[in-house]
Amino acid sequence: MDAHPVVVASGLTKRYGDVEAVKGIDFSVPSSSCVGLLGPNGAGKSTTMRMIMGLSTLTGGTMNVFGEPIQKLSRENKARIGLVPQETNLDPDISVVENLELYGRYYALPIDIIRERVPRLLDFMQLSEKSDAPVNTLSGGMKRRLVIARALINDPDLVILDEPTTGLDPQARVLIWKQLLDLKKQGRALLLTTHYMDEAQQLCDNIIVVDGGSVLDEGTPRELIDRHVKSHVIEVKKPHVAKSTDGKWEQEDIGEAILYFVHNPEDLIADLPVDATYLQRHANLEDVFLRITGRTLRDN
Amino acid sequence: MNTLPLGISHILAVFYRQYIVWRKLIWPAMVTNVGNPVLFLFAFGFGLGRFIDTMSGVDYMSFIVPGMIAYAAMFAASFETTIGSFTRYFLLKNWDAVLATPVSLRELLMGEVLWASCKAMISAISVLVVGWLWGGIPSPAGALISLPFIFLSAICFSCVGLTATAYASGYEFFSYFFTFWVTPMFVFCGVFFEISRFPEAIQIIAWILPMTHIIAVIRPLCLGLPIDPIMIFLHTTYMFVLCVIAFSLAHKKMRQKLFD
Repeated sequence: MDAHPVVVASGLTKRYGDVEAVKGIDFSVPSSSCVGLLGPNGAGKSTTMRMIMGLSTLTGGTMNVFGEPIQKLSRENKARIGLVPQETNLDPDISVVENLELYGRYYALPIDIIRERVPRLLDFMQLSEKSDAPVNTLSGGMKRRLVIARALINDPDLVILDEPTTGLDPQARVLIWKQLLDLKKQGRALLLTTHYMDEAQQLCDNIIVVDGGSVLDEGTPRELIDRHVKSHVIEVKKPHVAKSTDGKWEQEDIGEAILYFVHNPEDLIADLPVDATYLQRHANLEDVFLRITGRTLRDN
Repeated sequence: MNTLPLGISHILAVFYRQYIVWRKLIWPAMVTNVGNPVLFLFAFGFGLGRFIDTMSGVDYMSFIVPGMIAYAAMFAASFETTIGSFTRYFLLKNWDAVLATPVSLRELLMGEVLWASCKAMISAISVLVVGWLWGGIPSPAGALISLPFIFLSAICFSCVGLTATAYASGYEFFSYFFTFWVTPMFVFCGVFFEISRFPEAIQIIAWILPMTHIIAVIRPLCLGLPIDPIMIFLHTTYMFVLCVIAFSLAHKKMRQKLFD
């Protein structure tokens, strides 16, 4: 792993009036890696990303991006960040190519460099055939791909992706994942938020789970799974339960069934009544997420 | 991001964005910004002009053309930095996209003002040409000299519009802006007749509005009448100060809204 983190945040705090949206969180994003920021709606993820972009002032704590405090981030370093925002904010009335060329101008890139990069980015995001199409004729998946291509126009070292694949079909998601992994291989740092746990598991080297503005836990997907939900989940339909009720099993009551988190499924199965109905599967990040952020429905 | 020196290329990039979108949607834009004032010119020139031969000793058509030029610039600049800018900020989220790049908020707002002012010039010059072809510009040379002053007024109107945008919470807010800012400038600032015909209280209001000042400069120029350089200096200083105040307010409020 690279020794120079691209983003280092410590004690990061953001308050809106009386509401503390981010409550003193610490994290870092190393280069050539993908860090996932996971949490329910309203956990403080988007606010944290806006702070990295310098689009939201810090109430407290410090944040260094490329070694510079965010408040004093130079134009050169700001230009090394590419943002894929949650909302697709392309220019709807102009073409795909014009959107990209225009974005290059915001970076004050020379026009010949823009002209050279645009076809490459369109090819990278498989949009070449749509070059001259107006953006408002593109499908949702194409628009998302274009937003990602746009974020890459200045060849950024840090790419911030706020729910890049929300609302896309599986084909589009798989393509985006492949290209994001490719970006990581090229040495770029990625910071990702997503509500898709399979996406986080596929892409992220390190995951930070946040809720209510605080970090709940942090680690590789494997570490988090081992720590919170062991390796297997056995869902036992009520009214049957494991015979040993003395706290031997790590379990969670989810209403109609009880989830048991175990390393060796055979041990638990041996502890179940013979007529019990159960479902056995490998534990995944979704289990971790629900385990540590709870099952209560969130509202924005 | 507040301390960065201004980058001309970044301001121009914002300007360029508006230009290429405008090029795509040129006809509706032309109808609003050129068709509208030209229609007013015909309506008042033909309609009112039949009953009024002269105004303050000047042929009525020649009197009204500079007023309509100022109106065209005022309306185009005000419309662009309110409805136009607010749509880019609020609906299209275009400002979010721009601010994610090295373009600073100040540069973004300057790009907006520059574009709106140039658009206002297109309107103003169109009305000027129509008015001239119609014989309403006794001094074409004076009309040319008035162009930089019209540009300054356009910047001033743009900055004030941008302040309204910064304080607007929704499109409804612009009802106030158009009713209490744009319309009074149309009716009280000497577009159709001398403001001296109004009661004194209204004259005071008229002199607060920048429209009165720009008309006071360009009308004598277009008519080829003498004008005191000191008065030109005072009128332009007033518009310049208003620009600076309005732009600072817009920038400060927008910073709070976006970043705090």
